[in-house]
Amino acid sequence: MSELINRRDFLKLAGLLGIHATLPQFKLFYPKSNSISEGPSSDNPNILIIVFDAWSAYHLSINGYPRETMPNLAELGKKAVIFHNHYSAGNFTTPGTASLLTGVLPWSHQAISFNDVLRDEYLHQNIFSAFGDYHRIAYSHNFLVNTLLTQLSGEIDDYIPREELFLERDRLIELLFSTDEDIATVSWVRALKKGGDHFSYSLFLSEIYEKLKSLQFNEIRANFPLGIPSINVDNYYLLENGIDYLQNLFMDATSPFLGYFHFLPPHEPYNTRNEFSGRFAEDKYFPAKKPPHLFSQGQKSSNQKKWRTLYDEFILYADAEFARLYHFLDQSGFLENTWVILTSDHGELFERGIIGHLTPVLYEPVIRIPLLIFEPGRTESLHIYEKTSGIDILPTLLKVTGRDIPVWVEGEVLPPYNGGNEMDNERLIFSLQARGTDKNDPITKATVALIDGDYKLIYYFGYDELGDGNEMIELFNIKVDPEELNDLSSNQFEIAQSLLVKIKTKLDDVNRPYY
Amino acid sequence: MGIFKNGFSKKGLWLLLSTCAFPIHVWTLVMFFRDFSWISERTNTWDAIGVGSYGLMIAFIESLFVFTIALGLSLLLPQKWSEDKRISIVGAAVLLIAFWAIAGQLYFLMEIHFPSRIIQFAARNSHPLWVIYGAVLVAVGSTIALAGYMLIKSENVQENTLALFERLSTLSALYIFLDFCGLLVVVIRNL
Repeated sequence: MSELINRRDFLKLAGLLGIHATLPQFKLFYPKSNSISEGPSSDNPNILIIVFDAWSAYHLSINGYPRETMPNLAELGKKAVIFHNHYSAGNFTTPGTASLLTGVLPWSHQAISFNDVLRDEYLHQNIFSAFGDYHRIAYSHNFLVNTLLTQLSGEIDDYIPREELFLERDRLIELLFSTDEDIATVSWVRALKKGGDHFSYSLFLSEIYEKLKSLQFNEIRANFPLGIPSINVDNYYLLENGIDYLQNLFMDATSPFLGYFHFLPPHEPYNTRNEFSGRFAEDKYFPAKKPPHLFSQGQKSSNQKKWRTLYDEFILYADAEFARLYHFLDQSGFLENTWVILTSDHGELFERGIIGHLTPVLYEPVIRIPLLIFEPGRTESLHIYEKTSGIDILPTLLKVTGRDIPVWVEGEVLPPYNGGNEMDNERLIFSLQARGTDKNDPITKATVALIDGDYKLIYYFGYDELGDGNEMIELFNIKVDPEELNDLSSNQFEIAQSLLVKIKTKLDDVNRPYY
Repeated sequence: MGIFKNGFSKKGLWLLLSTCAFPIHVWTLVMFFRDFSWISERTNTWDAIGVGSYGLMIAFIESLFVFTIALGLSLLLPQKWSEDKRISIVGAAVLLIAFWAIAGQLYFLMEIHFPSRIIQFAARNSHPLWVIYGAVLVAVGSTIALAGYMLIKSENVQENTLALFERLSTLSALYIFLDFCGLLVVVIRNL
């Protein structure tokens, strides 16, 4: 840094530039507290958790994916701890995020259905309550996460409404239907927004609405050939605004702070920025051919290829913006006292006739997620290949900040922060899909994935598609068969049964209170 | 003030409103029934009913909007024409435009594809979008013009059209009743 400009002046200038770039687009929200940062201490560093929604580790070039989807992260990762076998606790946002925030598996916190909430006991047993002496800030683009954050808002000092970082707000729904926002929004979208489908409930008003909307944001639209990134069709947002907000946060937030920021990319719609559009359209990459699954959505392989390409190009956008944040933090010195955790809530699938993540299946692309930890002072990368889980992040953060780990936490401290001890070899990694299960009911229709060493068992039960018996298992050796092409459940029957017993024992424990 | 001298009777207003409401509500309900199962599966049946209720409220607002436009258009017709004639012409125009709007959405819903010869013909033109818009305008305009002509020239057609409107009004009354049920559901959901 130049001797002619001190750190404080540099930060003010950098912050002003950020504000200037974004003011025309949105109203900046500042945290309620106005303390100028005195800087965190090494005992109480800042903690910044960034979640990129639906980001699959399968699609990461640093994990061996043939496409260079994250060139910046590949470079930045040279100063990070990279976890190559990290798993989400569920295959969609609610359970995956809830497990990250509470450090327990879905059947414990019971936020397992779409837009579900946590069991009451976790209102004060979560990452925000565990860091009660920190200034806690949270934001999410994804309304499913906001359902959880709203529930935990008593433990959050600055809970930023998601509309603050939209390009505009659906004020009508906020004003009139805030109690029923989810369904009101779904209805608004179905009734008035034709979007890519070109049909809606409304015959005439939808046309007028579309025409009015198309006149807005023309300048920004020019940067996004597939459309401005959005949630529910036209809640437009820019990841750039989220990153600018984070830069300002470091300048103005009370320290030390714990920030949880959940951004939507690369969740669909995969509307990447101009410079990334078409990057992979003509490449020679062809994924491994996999036969349609029992739970196939009927998606043809040409369709899967097309959407996979758009998804990969959307990841490039997230990569570029994270790099921008990282360089700001690095150049301004904030990385010296900030732990940055970069991860996801679940992955995304483009195979076996399935696109997306709202599916009964729990294959690697939809539950294996990235985890990179940028810790103060680290100058070399460290690659961790042990199996780890999203529930491990909370105990790890407690450990590195010198806090006791409460007994209710089910996760383990991640290496190398566990004092050099190897992770428990008997440790089982679970992931659960039980959408549709009511909180007051036992789990009778679900998919459970269990990873034990090199083996992964996927157990399906209760689905009508399974016919008589309502059960099905698949066994893979994910070390030698990472693409999960060879089902070993018949050939290695004993291993399959051994893992199945473990799953069923767990399910019996979980369901016992209901019988 | 003169334009209001020959306004519609209450019965005429109801007939026009119900004619405007009919296709809007039919389409809303068709689309809602299409969505019902996935919304129920997404969360639960009460939420699915909620989506339908909001949809019906919007359908009611849209019906009033279209009715207002139709009423305004009716004022442009010669006031010496009888109320029945003006209602039948405006009502027929609304039904035909609604029919074409439904057809436009069905084109995407059913993934219908135009024959490649037609696509190529449009593509060869320097302004292909104008060609498509022009074709749509001709199709819609000609059906309305033809209907209008027949209604002006033939009392028989006019009477049959009004008889149709009266039949539709019974269904529309049911739809509007459902709209108010929908409003009740929305109020309950937002308590």
